[in-house]
Amino acid sequence: MPDVILKGLSKRYGDVGAVNDLSLEMKPGELLALLGPSGCGKTTTLRLVAGFLTPEAGEIWVGDRCLSSPTAVVPPERRRMAMIFQSYALWPHMTVAQNVAYGLRFKPGIARSDRDARVREMLRVVQLAGYEHRYPGELSGGQQQRVAVARALVVEPEILLLDEPLSNLDANLREEMRFEIRRLHETFGITTLYVTHDQSEAMVISDRIAVLQAGRVAQVGTADDLYHRPRTRFVAEFIGRTNVVDGVATSFDAVAHGALRLHVAPGGLQPGTRVALSIRPHQVQLSAPVEGAEGANTFRGTVRRAAFLGDTIDYEIAIAGSDLVLRAAAAPTPRFEVGAAVVLRVAPGACVPLGDGD
Amino acid sequence: MDRSIAVWVGAAVALVVLIALPLGWLGWLSVSGEHGTTLAHYRDAFTDPALQRALWNTVVLAFWVGLVSVAIGAPLAWLTARTDVPGRGLIRGLVLASFVTPPFLGAFAWVMLAGPNAGILNTFWRSVTGADAPLLNIFTMPGLVFVVSIYTFPYVYIMVANTLALIASDLEEAAAILGAGRLAVARTVTLPMVLPALASGFILAVLQALALFGSPAILALPAGFHTVTTQIWSLFQFPPKVEQAAAFSVPLLLATALLLDIQKRLLGRRGYAAVGGKGGQRRIIALGRWRWPALAACLVVMSGAIFLPYGVLAKGAFSRAWAQPLSRDNLTLANFAFTFFEYGSTRAAIVNTLELAVLTACIGAAMVALLSYVTNRRLVVGHQLVAFLVLAPVVVPGVVLAVGLFIAYTRPPFVLYGTLWILFLAYLTKEMPVGYAQADATFRAIPADLEDAGRVLGAGRLRILKEITAPLAKSGIIAAWCFIFIGVIRELSASILLFTPSTKVMSVVIFDLKEEGQFGAISVLGLVMLGLTFATVALVQAALGRDVLGARR
Repeated sequence: MPDVILKGLSKRYGDVGAVNDLSLEMKPGELLALLGPSGCGKTTTLRLVAGFLTPEAGEIWVGDRCLSSPTAVVPPERRRMAMIFQSYALWPHMTVAQNVAYGLRFKPGIARSDRDARVREMLRVVQLAGYEHRYPGELSGGQQQRVAVARALVVEPEILLLDEPLSNLDANLREEMRFEIRRLHETFGITTLYVTHDQSEAMVISDRIAVLQAGRVAQVGTADDLYHRPRTRFVAEFIGRTNVVDGVATSFDAVAHGALRLHVAPGGLQPGTRVALSIRPHQVQLSAPVEGAEGANTFRGTVRRAAFLGDTIDYEIAIAGSDLVLRAAAAPTPRFEVGAAVVLRVAPGACVPLGDGD
Repeated sequence: MDRSIAVWVGAAVALVVLIALPLGWLGWLSVSGEHGTTLAHYRDAFTDPALQRALWNTVVLAFWVGLVSVAIGAPLAWLTARTDVPGRGLIRGLVLASFVTPPFLGAFAWVMLAGPNAGILNTFWRSVTGADAPLLNIFTMPGLVFVVSIYTFPYVYIMVANTLALIASDLEEAAAILGAGRLAVARTVTLPMVLPALASGFILAVLQALALFGSPAILALPAGFHTVTTQIWSLFQFPPKVEQAAAFSVPLLLATALLLDIQKRLLGRRGYAAVGGKGGQRRIIALGRWRWPALAACLVVMSGAIFLPYGVLAKGAFSRAWAQPLSRDNLTLANFAFTFFEYGSTRAAIVNTLELAVLTACIGAAMVALLSYVTNRRLVVGHQLVAFLVLAPVVVPGVVLAVGLFIAYTRPPFVLYGTLWILFLAYLTKEMPVGYAQADATFRAIPADLEDAGRVLGAGRLRILKEITAPLAKSGIIAAWCFIFIGVIRELSASILLFTPSTKVMSVVIFDLKEEGQFGAISVLGLVMLGLTFATVALVQAALGRDVLGARR
């Protein structure tokens, strides 16, 4: 399994830079998700890797092969990749078996009988045995999806590319297919680039996630990294829900927001600089107000709204003596009604300073 | 239920008058002899060597027209639908122009261009090379195939272009990334998906060629051969052999019905775009250095269909001697004066044509609007049958319809022959399917929800019809009106059997003028006809906000 390196890729559409000096490395056998809102350049990046587009700057390397540069692009058919499309792109004039067998026609050294055996085996793996002679139009959405997966995997590609493959499925099926794709990845271990705009999909499926913003990589890391140690406001807000508190650093481990002072884990804050903190709602601890509830990062507040979500309650709490409103996700008991006074406590380690990026 | 009965009675009467009566008489007369039923007319018709030759000529003509139309229409469709060839809008516009050009006008123009003696291209060839023999002779089977094909290929173009527009680029890219090169992608993915459209375009082109009367009459008769349509026409010349003509019409009718059935099956076989969810963009293929040569090739084809014929018609209209160079001495308006003021039947024919066109278009548009509304909203029991019957005339070639109408309406109870009404019936029947298809598409695009939303708020059905449905359907029905209008002013193949000296129409006069060699007047009338056609097309485009050829945009 080779690694994949994208170096300083740029691609413009007219005046709009879809991909802007993007660099990224994928480890062999890794499943990396490209995550971002629509228009962030994730699909363009994928199409650059597939060879459907020529970069205006930068290079794409797979192992020791340079596949794309502004001057030379190896065409898609010679990249030894496979791709699963958002629309599945199943050929309506071919049966399921013909669709799946298609890529094998172009792989040298595979006998016809062997071809049939591989197709049968792959259809068994994606649980479509017995559907060989159906046409795609006769299958359900989920089954079409499985055919698309089988067609891509049967050629044993070096790299597998997926372009929002689950976005056409309904919610239940989508959930199921996430685990299915993860299972297949663990079975075959193909280096995989997975484009999605759905953060929970990215978190379930991938080894690492690259969050894209305006054609650049904002941050790469495991789901855990991105959730607990976001480096920019964009990443913090895109991965999960969060409170962002703007303030000014007063020391190397404290930030002032108006009259409030928030302590953070000791780190490299520059006193006097503006800084934003990310505080995850579930890391805000709530308790009933008792005398002597004082101490670092402890505030009084009033419940403005409460929404019962089953396993948690979602609160909106106005902090006393401040314009700040924090969201908190707390256990269903004890329950605080709207208008109740509460005490909030946030561990210094849960206040994550965000970089200068907006 | 009572509403259903009223609609059914009305539709039944209309369909009896329009289709059942003429075709019934046609069938009956073809088997009726002096002593009961007989197959003698069929035996006469199909053992006569001249008629056999006409039949064979028609087969040859139709087959080659189908092939040539595919050879022209398919690449043009691909170029304009999928590549970055320059001037795609222009090419589409020219294909549309070719689509609406009356084929017999094109045939006249090509007589002036490539007639063996005086044809302009041949004169030019002789003066350049000094040769004696003509370069081109349009009065031949290949000449006829060429002239028919350049006005028939748009059928293939429309089918293929609209299909290509439905095939998402994903499908081709999916093949490319699995290792298929460009040719392999074209061979294994694109072509098989376009094939049903290609075959059905081929069939439509064949059907056009089978039913066409004008071009064979203009080009084949001087060359000394007949096709089925010209043969039927000549059986009507004095002394008329109506029974034989009827017997000869039946196979043409059956062949048309059969081919249309095959075409429908081809298209219905598998859904194309139905697979998969969204996505499905269509990306444009860069032709690179082939861009300009591709445009040049398109323009060469279009010069055969549009530039040269239109040019020679314009020249013929404004010059004293159309075969002579266009000098100041040769310029004149005399042809216009002759056409409009001196030649006997022209003005009456123009008036007849316009009267018939407006009448047919108004009544036809009203009928198809009503019928398609009724079938789309399923207001009556058996609405599918209504739709089927309205579309049925599609299988009746103009000449065959004319034979049937002639037989049906030269005898009691309805003696309409000799009046404009028989032409009206012919046109209404012939144009009904086109108008219905347009009206049907219009109502299909107006979700019943829009009407239901109004009714929930308290408006009655009639009020909804007036305030919601009618404004939304207006442009589509105007388009249906225009399609019928265009169809009528260019109609020749039925008119040529049904006219009488007092009921001539423009196309028939043009045909008469040919007998007298009045090319100047033909050109003038041709330009008038083209002017009317293009004005109406412009009206359609304005009403629909898109071009007439495609479902796209």
